[in-house]
Amino acid sequence: MALLGTRLYLAFDASGVTAAEMNEGVRGRSPRGFARAPLEPGALTPSPSGRNLLRAEAVKDAARRAVEGLGGRRVTLVLPDGLARIVLVEPPEGADPRDYVRFRLAPSLPWPVAEAIVNTLPAGRGRVVGAAVRRAAVAEYEQAAAAAGLAAERAHLAPLLALEGLLRSGARDEVHVLLGDVAVCLAAFRGAALVGLRNRRRDRSPGEESRLRDEAARAASTAGHGPALPRLVVSGSGSSGLRRALDDLAAGRRLEGPAEWPEAREAAWLGGLVS
Amino acid sequence: MARGARLVTGQPDFSTAPRSGRAPAWDTLTLLLGGLLLALAAAEAWHARGEARRAGERLAGVRRDAEAASARLRALEAGARGEARGLLPAAEARPDQIVASLASALPRDVRLARLSIDYSQGGALEMHVVARNTAGWDLLLETLERARQFREVEPGPETREAEVRSVIRARWAGETP
Repeated sequence: MALLGTRLYLAFDASGVTAAEMNEGVRGRSPRGFARAPLEPGALTPSPSGRNLLRAEAVKDAARRAVEGLGGRRVTLVLPDGLARIVLVEPPEGADPRDYVRFRLAPSLPWPVAEAIVNTLPAGRGRVVGAAVRRAAVAEYEQAAAAAGLAAERAHLAPLLALEGLLRSGARDEVHVLLGDVAVCLAAFRGAALVGLRNRRRDRSPGEESRLRDEAARAASTAGHGPALPRLVVSGSGSSGLRRALDDLAAGRRLEGPAEWPEAREAAWLGGLVS
Repeated sequence: MARGARLVTGQPDFSTAPRSGRAPAWDTLTLLLGGLLLALAAAEAWHARGEARRAGERLAGVRRDAEAASARLRALEAGARGEARGLLPAAEARPDQIVASLASALPRDVRLARLSIDYSQGGALEMHVVARNTAGWDLLLETLERARQFREVEPGPETREAEVRSVIRARWAGETP
């Protein structure tokens, strides 16, 4: 029962705009509707510091098409992977997690820290996933939504939504590869706790699967998993092809959107929402 | 993948105008108000349930007292009747005692055709009698009215042809113990 009403999640990425209408209740979320409007290559390029919506009109039209027929007055924007700087940290006792993340990320941000919007996601055992996005970049997406007739109430990050789902559902000893169109997030779990996190741009040229496998092995090793690579779980954009290429290495339970909408299967953020 | 997260939790917000800086949405306010009303209604229902239980207990107590008083009244009345007349209560009389008393009251020319005793009516007697002549009938009535064992003697309608047939109603008053 949608005791808390419905919420529309509008997600942007380089390949298209997707919309999911979710029932929200005390027992959790359940999907009610889903739609996807593809984008021409180059219309949207997720970038932490540069301009993202290179063809804003096309993105606005795609957003409008995606939400046609869907309800939900409350809108949450889901910003693509590749937009934020993401880090897993353990703030000192008594420190405000957001302030600590801001302090840790400030030297590496390619924009003035005053322009950063910083937020955190509790990751258990005193750790938090911190993320910083440039205010101007978020504003681009908010303006696209507004131009499509949507008043965005909140903004979230696709990789953080996926991580939320993994943390909530208690991922075991696994390395999760969460794929966006242009960036990838590698999350190492040990004993149901997030112990390692890497975020980088994707290189979709041939051999991506072996590069990802090596990267996952390094992430696992750094996180204290030892020499043997724990189970690799690949979710997100283009994950079907990569799983085939990785063969039985990527056999874990992955984040997928609701099965009744085939296009939702590779929306790891949606899988995170309903997991 | 499971459908439906277990709990809708607060999510980080990266919007340029965060939610905390905005007025609460009407639906959230309505939900809060609804929750408050629900809590008040639940508290009221709980209070009313306690009141009903206490009222029920009081009613049961009053009923018990009334029954005890009623039983005591009956006992006192019965005792008073017995003390006043020095007789056994009607309810304690056996049918053979009543029949024996009646038989001793019957004159020679009168026979008892039928007798019914109603203990629920305090020993009400209904006697169907046949008298060979009016003198026997009159003597029976006189004897019954004089006898201490019978009271409220009421003769019913008579048929006087060759013999007198009638019904006499009376109440058993008991015998001297």
